[in-house]
Amino acid sequence: MTAITAESSLLGNMNQGRWALLRFYAYIGLSLGIAGMAMYGADGYNEDAFLYQILSMKGLIWGGTGALIGAGFAATLSAMKPSMLLGRVAPNTVPWLDGMLLMVVFSVIAAQFEPAASQISYEDQSNLIAGEIIMAMNVVFIFSAVAYIAYLFAPEAFIGRIATGSAWFAVYAGGTALLLRWHESYLFDMDMGHAPVSNLYEVFILLFMITATVYLSFERRYQAKGLGAFVMVLVSAGVFFGIWLDSVGQADIKPLVPALQSYWMKIHVPMNFVGYGAFAVACGAGMAYLVRHAMEARGSSSRMLNVFPSLEQLDQLAYKSVAVGFPAFTLATILGAAWAAEAWGGYWSWDPKETWALIVWLVYGAYLHARVSHGWHGKALAWWAVAGFLVTVFCFLGVNMYLSGLHSYGRLT
Amino acid sequence: MKSFTDLFKQLWQRLGSMSLAIVLLMVLSIASVIGTVLLQNQDQGDYLQQFGPLWYWVFRSLGLFDMYHTWWFLSILGFLMLSLSACLWRNVPKMLKEMRGRKGTVNDRSLSRLELKEEWQLEGDLSAESLQEALKKRLYGWEFKATEENGAHFLRADKGRFHKTGYISVHAAILIVLVGGFLSVQYGFRGNMAVPEGKMENTITFLKGTETAALDMPFDIRCNSFVIDFFPTGAPKEFRSNLTIIDEGKEVLTSDIIVNEPLFYKGVYIYQASFGDGGSDVSLKLYHLDGSQRTRTVKTGVYKTWTDKQTGTSIEVTDFRPYNVENIAENFGEKKFQDIGPSIEYVMRSPDFKPVKIKAYMNPYIDANGNNQGSWLMVSMSGDAKDYESVSLGLDLTNPQEWKLFHAFFNRMSELQGTRDEQANMQAFKQAMTDVFGENRPEGFQHMAVRTIQAVQMLPKLPWHVIPMLEDYGHVYYTGLQLAQDPGMNTVWVGSGILVIGLCIMFYMPHRKLWLVIRPESGKTHITLAGLTNRNQLSFKETFNDLFIQIDEDFKNQSGKG
Repeated sequence: MTAITAESSLLGNMNQGRWALLRFYAYIGLSLGIAGMAMYGADGYNEDAFLYQILSMKGLIWGGTGALIGAGFAATLSAMKPSMLLGRVAPNTVPWLDGMLLMVVFSVIAAQFEPAASQISYEDQSNLIAGEIIMAMNVVFIFSAVAYIAYLFAPEAFIGRIATGSAWFAVYAGGTALLLRWHESYLFDMDMGHAPVSNLYEVFILLFMITATVYLSFERRYQAKGLGAFVMVLVSAGVFFGIWLDSVGQADIKPLVPALQSYWMKIHVPMNFVGYGAFAVACGAGMAYLVRHAMEARGSSSRMLNVFPSLEQLDQLAYKSVAVGFPAFTLATILGAAWAAEAWGGYWSWDPKETWALIVWLVYGAYLHARVSHGWHGKALAWWAVAGFLVTVFCFLGVNMYLSGLHSYGRLT
Repeated sequence: MKSFTDLFKQLWQRLGSMSLAIVLLMVLSIASVIGTVLLQNQDQGDYLQQFGPLWYWVFRSLGLFDMYHTWWFLSILGFLMLSLSACLWRNVPKMLKEMRGRKGTVNDRSLSRLELKEEWQLEGDLSAESLQEALKKRLYGWEFKATEENGAHFLRADKGRFHKTGYISVHAAILIVLVGGFLSVQYGFRGNMAVPEGKMENTITFLKGTETAALDMPFDIRCNSFVIDFFPTGAPKEFRSNLTIIDEGKEVLTSDIIVNEPLFYKGVYIYQASFGDGGSDVSLKLYHLDGSQRTRTVKTGVYKTWTDKQTGTSIEVTDFRPYNVENIAENFGEKKFQDIGPSIEYVMRSPDFKPVKIKAYMNPYIDANGNNQGSWLMVSMSGDAKDYESVSLGLDLTNPQEWKLFHAFFNRMSELQGTRDEQANMQAFKQAMTDVFGENRPEGFQHMAVRTIQAVQMLPKLPWHVIPMLEDYGHVYYTGLQLAQDPGMNTVWVGSGILVIGLCIMFYMPHRKLWLVIRPESGKTHITLAGLTNRNQLSFKETFNDLFIQIDEDFKNQSGKG
């Protein structure tokens, strides 16, 4: 998944053809196996400890069997119908799943370094190591932003590689830390454990990861390295906010209020942040467009223009990010409505958060319509992508800070 | 007459147009902002106070206090539906026709306009079929159509031919969702019901505009019990009600509900929404402040008012809490959560002083070091909970002897006729101790001394006739239920499903077309490969270039063989 693996042909082959297909089906088998364990396993599904059920010997047997069956299925199928190997779905999906698996492995390793049970207390959480990893992530994200900016002014391949590498490092650190926090929430008390998407601090880390990953996957496919400076500056701004949250004591793991104790939280929240993250990348592309446009208008011959993607490319990238974010955001809003129907007695209550989600949806809906109709072109749409993200930020942060409503558990205290 | 039909046609055209859609979406989003900034459905008095009479009436006449149900907001939504219908009406037939018909041939003019195009001029008269096979082998999951016209062989390849169904389903889905919403509002209900433990209820209340309305349910609900579970940190973990549904006098079903796990009966969802005091019985012990050392016990209940005819003091009990988890750490920033016991909240009124809101704790305050700091109250002079200030009474009133000691001390002090030095105080206290306890001094009497001296300074300052403290209680919760029936919900889910699927088709399954045109030209073969996509040009360009590299090799091989 990293740029380094992409450049090596051996690992590159891993993500093509037969290997990709085998792994793709193995992953499907793995998830089916774990689903099977939840439904038919001896201990069944235990919401509070499912994480440990998966990581136990039994989880390994159920999941491993599923993965083997999946891989065997893929091997047979591809032998019978070789044209299957030309499909794009498996090679496009597998690197993402590999990355997630790698994060799980990292977090399991990191979990071995947690302090002894007697040293862990709810009142003082400073000795837990997820916090250290998050701090490392913060530093590396900022370093990466600096490297990307440096790359604009000194377009050396070496600097570019450092920027990309550090961004990937930070993404993996963030993912590892979040998974570790999930584990840590169980260390205080089994009943207190919950997925690490329950407060502003945790979802911020998720947002950095998703924004950076969406950007990095574009960088790999479309060689759009000049865009990195803009996206990473946005991420760094968020990182500073996250550090501030930590400094005012918002980083502590707290038990979940009853309203949030639902499996919907694990689906609704991450899905929303896929949307937010993609909109952030669209905003970065919009800003890059405006900068390049201004430079071209001045007749600049700066070297910077060589590393910038072309105007048309930037326009396309902004659109592509919205194309990722819009369906994800739509789905997230629908999932939120489904949760609301189950917890609050109605799928839509015109609660400020819901209404702002609708506003964000309408703004990007209008953006998509404006693109197709002929009156609007590059520059106006670039402004729209930037403005749309400001609306998104208000929906995500402003509503929690300034408006009251049913989402008030996301509030700053 | 003609002009009328023309006008209508023009209007219809405009209704379905893209620019109107953009304008409508933006108008709708700007209008929605108002309702999030202005808190909806609050008390009218609060609005009046907040905005003043002029703006209050302006906002009220625009319906801004319940704006998502005003005629003008609903008409924007209606207009959106109309525009969507017009757009679908106009475009669907066109799109269906386009999807069905696939022209195999392509003329030179359109070919020359295509951006993605590669050409070969190969030696020899190559078999069109084998060239076409070479392309087919490289395209997985594409549909092909071969045509021959005037000696030229055309092969058209399509992927994502049904891309346009994405547009159709997304727009239709939004219509379906809006129709579902209309059904919910028109034929559904949603309201609240408070059922005290052990009692039965069958009416829900809800806000209708600015009024409260009531609705009878076709069944009764009895709350058997309501329980709160806590985390070790003191934060609530679970609110659980045990309910029995009683239909036509028969108990049909008994079940637990918690937040996120509602109960469903006869088309009505029953949700755990809130809780509160269900009218607990409380005994108050009144400590008379007239120096008579008199106390008396009064039995009353939450939401009841007790009046003392003698002094004209009335006590309205507003709330009771069986527990209060508070941070008792002494240093700022530290945390030490602990239950400090039951509390009662009441408003005390009298002709002699301004009404005062009080929260009285049953237990004395034990600080983080385990020292008894005496009984205490939270007092709000304004009647607002945010103005609470803690008042330490000094005495631990749960110990009747301290109340005696306080009075004995007071009497001894007055005997000393105002000589107020340390020595005299000390002597008075010693005498008071002997008055109350005789020769056997209780353990920790030094702390008692400190508390009593504090009380001597504090209690005479209180303007009240009595201090009401909580003596005993029989606690009853009410469970706050929300009941909802929503006949439009399933329609909304169907619409949402179609919406997501449609969006995925729209964004991730672009319609890509490729043409392979093979023209034999006097011993040579002229080949053109051209491509077109309606979305995601960037990645198609890449795919096209990859395809070109592969196919170029294939063609050259064939040419070499030929």
